[in-house]
Amino acid sequence: MSLQTKTRNYLVFLWRCLRIAFVGDWRYYTWMGALSCVILLGINAYAKQFVHGLIVTGMSDQVSWGVYIANFTFIVGVAAAAAMLVIPVYIYNNKELHDLVIFGELLAVAAILMCLAFVTVDLGRPDRFWHLIPGIGQFNFPGSMLSWDVIVLNGYLLLNLHICGYLLYCRYIGKPPATWFYIPFVFIAIVWAVSIHTVTAFLYVGLGGRPFWNSSIVGPRFLASAFTAGPALIILALQIIRRVTDYRIGDKALLTLRSIVQVSMLINVFLLANEIFKEFYTRTSHVASSKYLLFGLHGHHALVPWIWTAIAFNFISMGLLVLPLSKSLRYLNLACVLAIVGIWIEKGMGLVVPGFIPTPLGEMVEYSPSLNETLVCLGIWAFGILAYTVFLRMSIPILQGRLAQANEAEPRPSRGILVRALQEPQPNR
Amino acid sequence: MNTDEHGLGTEEAGGPANERGTSRRGFLRTSAVLASGMAALAASLAPLRELTDCTTVERFLQKHYKEMTPEEMNKVLERIAREVEKQYAVRPQVKDYKPMDGVEFVYCLNLTRCIGCRKCVHACVAENNQSRNPEIQYIRVLKMPHGSLDMEKGDHYYAPESVPEKGFFYLPVQCQQCKNPPCVKVCPVKATWQEPDGITVIDYDWCIGCRYCEAACPYFARRFNWTRPSIPKERLNPNMSYLGNRPRRQGVMEKCHFCVQRTRQGRYPACLEVCPAGARKFGNVLDPDSEVAYILKNKRVFIQLKEELGTSPRFFYYFDV
Amino acid sequence: MIRAVNVQPHSTKVLTLVTLAFLGLAAAFYLDLWGHPALDRAIPLVDTNFISTATARMSVADLMRSGGDISSLDCYGCHEKNKPLKLKLDAEGNVVVPKEHDDIVMGHGRHNRNNNCFNCHDETNLELLQTRDGRHLKIEESPALCGSCHGPTYRDWEAGVHGRTSGYWKRSLGPIERKVCTSCHNPHSPPFPPRQPAPRPHLLHPPAEVAAKDN
Repeated sequence: MSLQTKTRNYLVFLWRCLRIAFVGDWRYYTWMGALSCVILLGINAYAKQFVHGLIVTGMSDQVSWGVYIANFTFIVGVAAAAAMLVIPVYIYNNKELHDLVIFGELLAVAAILMCLAFVTVDLGRPDRFWHLIPGIGQFNFPGSMLSWDVIVLNGYLLLNLHICGYLLYCRYIGKPPATWFYIPFVFIAIVWAVSIHTVTAFLYVGLGGRPFWNSSIVGPRFLASAFTAGPALIILALQIIRRVTDYRIGDKALLTLRSIVQVSMLINVFLLANEIFKEFYTRTSHVASSKYLLFGLHGHHALVPWIWTAIAFNFISMGLLVLPLSKSLRYLNLACVLAIVGIWIEKGMGLVVPGFIPTPLGEMVEYSPSLNETLVCLGIWAFGILAYTVFLRMSIPILQGRLAQANEAEPRPSRGILVRALQEPQPNR
Repeated sequence: MNTDEHGLGTEEAGGPANERGTSRRGFLRTSAVLASGMAALAASLAPLRELTDCTTVERFLQKHYKEMTPEEMNKVLERIAREVEKQYAVRPQVKDYKPMDGVEFVYCLNLTRCIGCRKCVHACVAENNQSRNPEIQYIRVLKMPHGSLDMEKGDHYYAPESVPEKGFFYLPVQCQQCKNPPCVKVCPVKATWQEPDGITVIDYDWCIGCRYCEAACPYFARRFNWTRPSIPKERLNPNMSYLGNRPRRQGVMEKCHFCVQRTRQGRYPACLEVCPAGARKFGNVLDPDSEVAYILKNKRVFIQLKEELGTSPRFFYYFDV
Repeated sequence: MIRAVNVQPHSTKVLTLVTLAFLGLAAAFYLDLWGHPALDRAIPLVDTNFISTATARMSVADLMRSGGDISSLDCYGCHEKNKPLKLKLDAEGNVVVPKEHDDIVMGHGRHNRNNNCFNCHDETNLELLQTRDGRHLKIEESPALCGSCHGPTYRDWEAGVHGRTSGYWKRSLGPIERKVCTSCHNPHSPPFPPRQPAPRPHLLHPPAEVAAKDN
């Protein structure tokens, strides 16, 4: 096959994928319509921020990182957790989960896109992004952990795009994938997944002036909470896929993921206990931020209800996961939702904001996100969910064989924009 | 549940309707959604109408301070002077002052003498063209209770009838120009670095505004321009320098730079010049005849704030009595 | 065979709603209905007193240089030459300041230890100062008088470390300006007088009650 044909085939594949994203039933249109509206609200809010500056957020010199970086931190964890699906499949040869790896990695791609969006909206001068490009700008590698983060996040994005893209394209053209072209990348992705979250943790850990963050437990806590919240999200996502499409997903897959969430949540709670002991038993003056978070300090206590809710959710979730009760999907879903919300609070607002309160000079200035900030965050979340929906919309028909090169050669009508391919008999799964 | 060709559920698995009618309806339907979507997208960007300080091609491509040739720097200085003149109707003098050889600046602050009047804060604001609204002040004076350096006990917002107040001492904090600066370590684009004379400077045209340095600084020394700074025309200081007190833009960091436009011409910084108690001392520590060398030789107890963090600040606080 | 899109009424309803939602959003965005940041907080400009380099008071030399009123410094405008002056003491032995000099408040030293005019002023020649070791100094040489008791401070002052030194740290590039003791310290009541501090800093997002107080 000539290069020209190969290119043409690939472009047709991309075009068909793109087209299929616009086709669906009324539930799909409702979902995408609603997400688009939220995204538009986010774009509008960001336009205001672009014009007036970050003063439209609730941040200040005292609390200079807020929900943008909090969400970024949480989502990096979700992205890293895609590796949690990869490990049982490729290391333990669990065939059950094989196709689900793609769903996990597509989630990682959507998550990384959200991370990049959150970091970009947090920049004061996004028009100077090119200053970050190695070779063209002034890239402070290896000194700055942010430069490491730029490398690992973009690398992870490319890795996952390659693996998913290659596997899906091979399925589309009906050829078995060449092992050497994706297996090594899969193993790299496993290690890389751990590294993206460790590097993000090191962003915080390396700051001596912030004793709340300058602790070696932050890295392990990040990983433990990521590997709890990430697979929990995947459990929920798989059930949604099961419900709105006819893609079959066995309960066994969900239960395998449940055991991952179970162990990770136990570790997460254990590490929390470690941290609380260290802070409150020794009681040095570095305890101020923890005191502020858990009990309030000097009359300021905005985060106290949040963190106790998060701790309660984590404990209840842990309890449910440990009991065989959670083998039933209803309780498992409840445990997952509680875990995700609890960890979002604990890692997002419960990690980023208390690091700034009190300030290094002992000042107490609290933070709460403004309307604009919240709309931007919701917009980016909606964008991520939309991206993931589109990825699934493209990949499920490919995996089911409904969107394949074999049924590509349909004569296209001269009128009408949306044309469906002729139905192929469904392969029995 | 009936599934259609794409594996999605349908409520009607009816056969093809009138081809001409339905495809026209489909076309209209799709166009309506797309058109309204485009309209909403365009409208969502409506706030951009108010954008005034747009970046030009010249500014976008401007190089890092350390990479600019002297000719490029002169062009940039000329452009900055034009921009300032356009905005403030005052023609400034914008220069790039290089560090002197054999100089390492050190600041000594006599805590016995400081009375907490905050004149240094405002002299700095005036000298360095800081935004008045929102307010940016490089120096923060803490009112501390007698006997403790625990910052948590400090009060930043004291406003008594008169100072000093009995039972307290006053601790002015600004950028400590650390020898081992955490802010320089963490900047992803090297927009801040330490110069040979000890001053940690910022290239305002290179900073991307990620605020990692602000998170890293243990002294709350760095300030961010959360919006367009506003300086009253009548208080603009027209003697400007590239790394120092030229007006900054929205979205970049700034901080005390030891009045680089004064000190690199051999003068004292503005905060020292205004102090009524003479509590501030500044100079070249490598010169044995300087005041700071005298202080470091003769006074006995020095406080370097948060010394245990290993930042090695160039700010030495001491007491006389 | 080609099948065209089977347009289902449900989908049409939904897409119509979506279209309307988009149009509604477009209108709302264009009309800029929400999200106005409070950018116009009026923080008043600081009084220029707080950025002036003036010292706490003026010494005699400062006064003369600025062309101020030095008529009160002409001692023999009122006093007679060669007439010895006697101090009036009260019941506890403290000096009673004569009513012609009632602008002077004695406060030099604790427990009224140093409140004797002729500890510093020369009673035989009112235009001179005298030290305890018998030196007679002109008014402009007053730092030596202060230093005769305040040794360590005088030593620091000579090194440029006590009291403000303004001008050029690099002496080869320009002059410095040194202040004498009396530019800051009233010789009769030397402790630094308290003064009003400049305004406190302003928060970027003040809580409502603080913002109200500022405005």
